[in-house]
Amino acid sequence: MMYVQLAIDSLLLGGLYALMALGLALSFGVTNILNFAHGEAIMLGAYGAFFGLTLGGIDPLLSLPALMLVGFLAGYALFRYFLKRLLTAPQVNQILLTFGLGMILNNAAAIAFTADMRSANPSYASESIRLGEAYLPMGRFIAFGVACVMAVALLLWLHRTEYGRACRAVAQNQLASTLAGIDLKNVYAVAFGISIAIGVATGVVLSWVTPVTPFMGFHLLVKAFAIIILGGIGSIGGAMAGAFLLGFLETAVAYFVPEGIGWAEGVAFAVLFLILIFRPRGIAGQAAEG
Amino acid sequence: MKTNRFAVAGVMVLLAALMLVPLNLPQMNDWLFRIATLIMLAVSWNMMASAGMISLGHSAFWGVGSYGCLVAINYLKLPFFMSFIPALLFGALIGMLLALSTGRLRGVFFAIATLALSEGLRIIGLMLPDFTGGAAGMFLRHGARPAAMVLYYSAIIAALLTVLAAWLLSITKLRYAMRAMHDNEDAAQMLGINPLFYRTLISTIAGAMAAGAGALNLWHSAYLAPDIAFSLHFAILAQIAAIIGGVHTLAGPVIGAFAIIGLSELSRTSLGIKEGYSLLIYGVMLVAAITFMPKGLYGILKARPARKPAREGLAPAGASPPNDAAQP
Amino acid sequence: MSGATPLLSLAGVNAGYGESQVLDGLSIDVGAGQVVCLLGANGVGKTTTLMAITGIVEPSAGDIRFDGQSLLGIAPHRRVELGIALAPEGRQVFQHCSVHENLLLGSFSQRGRKVRTAKLDEIYSMFPRLAERRMQMAGLMSGGEQQMLAIGRALMSDPRLLMLDEPSLGLAPKIALQVYEVIARIAASGISILLVEQNTQTALSVAERGYVLSHGRVALSGSNTQLLDAAAIREAFFGAGHGRPDAALDHPQPNNAGTPQ
Repeated sequence: MMYVQLAIDSLLLGGLYALMALGLALSFGVTNILNFAHGEAIMLGAYGAFFGLTLGGIDPLLSLPALMLVGFLAGYALFRYFLKRLLTAPQVNQILLTFGLGMILNNAAAIAFTADMRSANPSYASESIRLGEAYLPMGRFIAFGVACVMAVALLLWLHRTEYGRACRAVAQNQLASTLAGIDLKNVYAVAFGISIAIGVATGVVLSWVTPVTPFMGFHLLVKAFAIIILGGIGSIGGAMAGAFLLGFLETAVAYFVPEGIGWAEGVAFAVLFLILIFRPRGIAGQAAEG
Repeated sequence: MKTNRFAVAGVMVLLAALMLVPLNLPQMNDWLFRIATLIMLAVSWNMMASAGMISLGHSAFWGVGSYGCLVAINYLKLPFFMSFIPALLFGALIGMLLALSTGRLRGVFFAIATLALSEGLRIIGLMLPDFTGGAAGMFLRHGARPAAMVLYYSAIIAALLTVLAAWLLSITKLRYAMRAMHDNEDAAQMLGINPLFYRTLISTIAGAMAAGAGALNLWHSAYLAPDIAFSLHFAILAQIAAIIGGVHTLAGPVIGAFAIIGLSELSRTSLGIKEGYSLLIYGVMLVAAITFMPKGLYGILKARPARKPAREGLAPAGASPPNDAAQP
Repeated sequence: MSGATPLLSLAGVNAGYGESQVLDGLSIDVGAGQVVCLLGANGVGKTTTLMAITGIVEPSAGDIRFDGQSLLGIAPHRRVELGIALAPEGRQVFQHCSVHENLLLGSFSQRGRKVRTAKLDEIYSMFPRLAERRMQMAGLMSGGEQQMLAIGRALMSDPRLLMLDEPSLGLAPKIALQVYEVIARIAASGISILLVEQNTQTALSVAERGYVLSHGRVALSGSNTQLLDAAAIREAFFGAGHGRPDAALDHPQPNNAGTPQ
């Protein structure tokens, strides 16, 4: 019975983490630039949903498509006209530029929105259904559902559409992609835009699940890194697996370790270090060493 | 790391001269103290960056140094000058562990590891309230604080020593090792350089430097909490200072530290900008510095025509991004 | 060559990477429906020439004209739309995509998409091995199969000019022979071919004309019979003292020694 609840909670958490990691994995896989401001896309999505609900009375699920569209356009434009310079820049610049952007965004948010914790509260956020002896929290379940739909949509897009296939191609071999007639500049920007849109979606679903603060994105970012490294660089399947694994580990720690809720936050870091020490290529990826 | 002897000498003379300035004005003291600790942190960060190790979590060393010092003061009851020993040791130890555990991880992954280290230590700090006072933090033992002048002079001397150490290291073989490692570790290995050894050496020393700065800061503020000790904010200033001043140079971080603190003082006193905005401004400065001044102020002062990049993006044959092919 | 304007012509092209210049006043032609090969030792600029034609490398001087129109300034992916395709050195297949997906990607361009279904049928019948392994990951195939796939992928863009960079590299002689049989068939269908090869003899078995490059420019050019004269080739290859054994030395000298043009 406790195990059923454990399973439910870890599954739901894993799904959210999977969406979070997918967005980052997409932009990193295609552009080879690690976006340290990805967490801010999540944060802005969460605030967007929150304000949409509190100021406009719009349910987050309804504001989701519009917010995603804004995220995509912003991401596309940002990459196409600014970040593309990082493609040929040394790694220091890549890391620090996106990191700096993240700083700007989360401090601007802190000034604009104050650091108070917010939470969107659509009606389903606090309900839960009884399943035998366990509870299925509706808010998380719906978030999980949205995450699954997004993930499946993304995978279908990557494998069944022209442009999605082109993104995969660019991630694998830029020379061959150019020779096939693919416009790299555009693909990078599109992939980046989609990754931001997914980040925004992650934020929207999190708005009714966790507290919304200006710095939430940063804490999640490190977890997203942990997941991608755990799952293996360059493997989407690995990232998904890593996400569920982390979800399970965090939930298990919260259940079984004394004061586990506090320690659960640190699980991602411990996992990250252990993986880096013992198996840097993660579950399914290529080598991270140079 | 480029080291122009005159620049280095100039820097050290400047710092020494600061000690002769009548330090009677409280604002001046405070100002110089912050510059001194920032110089230590910036030089430390710059050292690692020059060897190809980008540390985003330099706050890990700072925090560990602060706590090492706290232990020394509150629990071991050590006097002022001795209290730095545990701090430096802790910093060096964490630096060594970081390098050994991350092996030869490439830039981005190393950066992530440093972030994880800092955040992880912060959480550990929060979860050990008996030791750290938890989220509420802890104060320095009453009566432990030395006279303000002692503190300030110590800070300036420490900054001087840090710059000196960095300079000495740069004129040894370490300089070539770092240069080579920064560009290409595999090639460096073929030159007989053992990257892991040098990484560990650099990380250990840089860790100790940053820890020293953290310890000084603890003496200054007399209060510590995990969120403050491992806060990324001051560490970020160090990065910005190094970048603005000029990465890979010795004088750069120092120039940058002066620039940063000067700017922040200016904005605070004359423009009346509130605390909350300072980080925003630092973010803007970081982005602007990377975008417009990749060589930093030092590079601008020493302006040389920039070399064109070898090719615009694509290699002639076999252009798969090394090791990163995605497999969706 | 007399007659109509060549399909492809390079005139006085200087090109290179960053500060190193590789091509130095290179001028070559490929006529419509012809098979032309570029020969020469390593590093003379054969691959760079192909890169300049595809647009990945922009010349610093000279002109490249395709079908009468200058290509300078036209982005690489747009040149595919004009009908230029390259099967690059080392195959460069999309390792984590299936054979079928590789072919679909080859017809990503508008030009290719228009005739995609027809082309797929064509390629699968030209390369039965690929048809058998339609769903297999390209990275798991043998070198020869990958070369077939690279060629097939290039053909999917419906090119008028197909360029091949060392198609026999790393392949066993029997497999290389199969690849060249395919190249001959492609040539017979009317597509112009520009072929880069280390192996002079193999290249000239399918090419009607060739250029021998040295130090970034043409050192020798002629028909295949003329170039098969080992002495002339040797001189062009080794003119500057590159001591590299050439396979052409092993085969018997033709009776009439041709003169270099």
